Amino acid sequence: MNISEVLKSIENTDIASSIRDSLFLFPMLESVHVMGLALVFGTIAIIDLRLLGLASTHRPFRSMTSDILKWTWMAFTITFLTGALMFTTNATVYFHNPVFQAKMAVLLLAGINMGIFELTSGRTRRQWDTSASTPVAAKTAAVISLVLWISVIFLGRWIGFTTTRTSPKEEAAPSELNLDDLFPGAADDSTTPNKK
Amino acid sequence: MIPTIQSIHIAGIGIVLTSVFMMDLRILGLAGKDQTLRQTTQRFGPWLMWSLVALLVTGVLMVIGEPVRELVTVSFWLKMFLVAVGTLVAAIFLRALRNNEQGWEDRITKRFSIKLMAILTFLVWLAVVVLGRLIAYDHIWGAWSPAHRL
Repeated sequence: MNISEVLKSIENTDIASSIRDSLFLFPMLESVHVMGLALVFGTIAIIDLRLLGLASTHRPFRSMTSDILKWTWMAFTITFLTGALMFTTNATVYFHNPVFQAKMAVLLLAGINMGIFELTSGRTRRQWDTSASTPVAAKTAAVISLVLWISVIFLGRWIGFTTTRTSPKEEAAPSELNLDDLFPGAADDSTTPNKK
Repeated sequence: MIPTIQSIHIAGIGIVLTSVFMMDLRILGLAGKDQTLRQTTQRFGPWLMWSLVALLVTGVLMVIGEPVRELVTVSFWLKMFLVAVGTLVAAIFLRALRNNEQGWEDRITKRFSIKLMAILTFLVWLAVVVLGRLIAYDHIWGAWSPAHRL
């Protein structure tokens, strides 16, 4: 079975077709995906800002990670599952979409960055646990992490604008409308809103 | 341009939702127990406020850019109502805490009604996220959507 057959069979699963056939399942998956990624990004930013010495500097680093990262992983699980379900609805298009590919690559880089931190400055965290200043390697990891996670948000939003077949319902409703319909007799220069 | 503003808006939502989440978890005793309530609100309150300002700015830009897509929807106006509720509750809470720090620390946070409020306000912000996404899908409201009538 080659990759295009695998993608086709993902699209043909019952779960994929029931999401496609439902009016509100896809928008709901998107909404829960945004909730999840909002908390993933926000909680990771709390840790990164601590590493950079910009916030929570009075708080021991290790009590922050044990306090916060469990919520990050919970939110990440929700985001991953909702993302996977959205992927099934149009697997072939997503798989070949360069923005989707870039997003997956950036997520992988974020994971590698985390791994490198754990193996380097993370190992000495006992020494700087209560200190506001952290090793340069830890600060570097924090900057990279923030840049990568913000990129994930941008790329994710861009996927919706580059995979038109995915969610034909999205942005569909207002497309038949324009301002002239709302305010008949107003300006005659066309002010039809951009679809996207 | 629109996707860029939307992305900044989503990053802002991340900070709002997480700030509310952290303060609510502290009230519920599920996180930040090594911090006082006041330390927790001092850490996250300003981030909540300033990211709400950033969301207002990017939100206004999106409305100017696509007034019909935004304004002719149930989702948008319901969302605005819940944003107002969430912001008001946060402002009242932060003010009440400032005025009676010790009382909140010792007793008030332990009240069931306050813990319930913490859960409800978080749900309000989650609903804001859903309604924000639903602006693009307002037709799912059927006849309730003003676009339906045009």
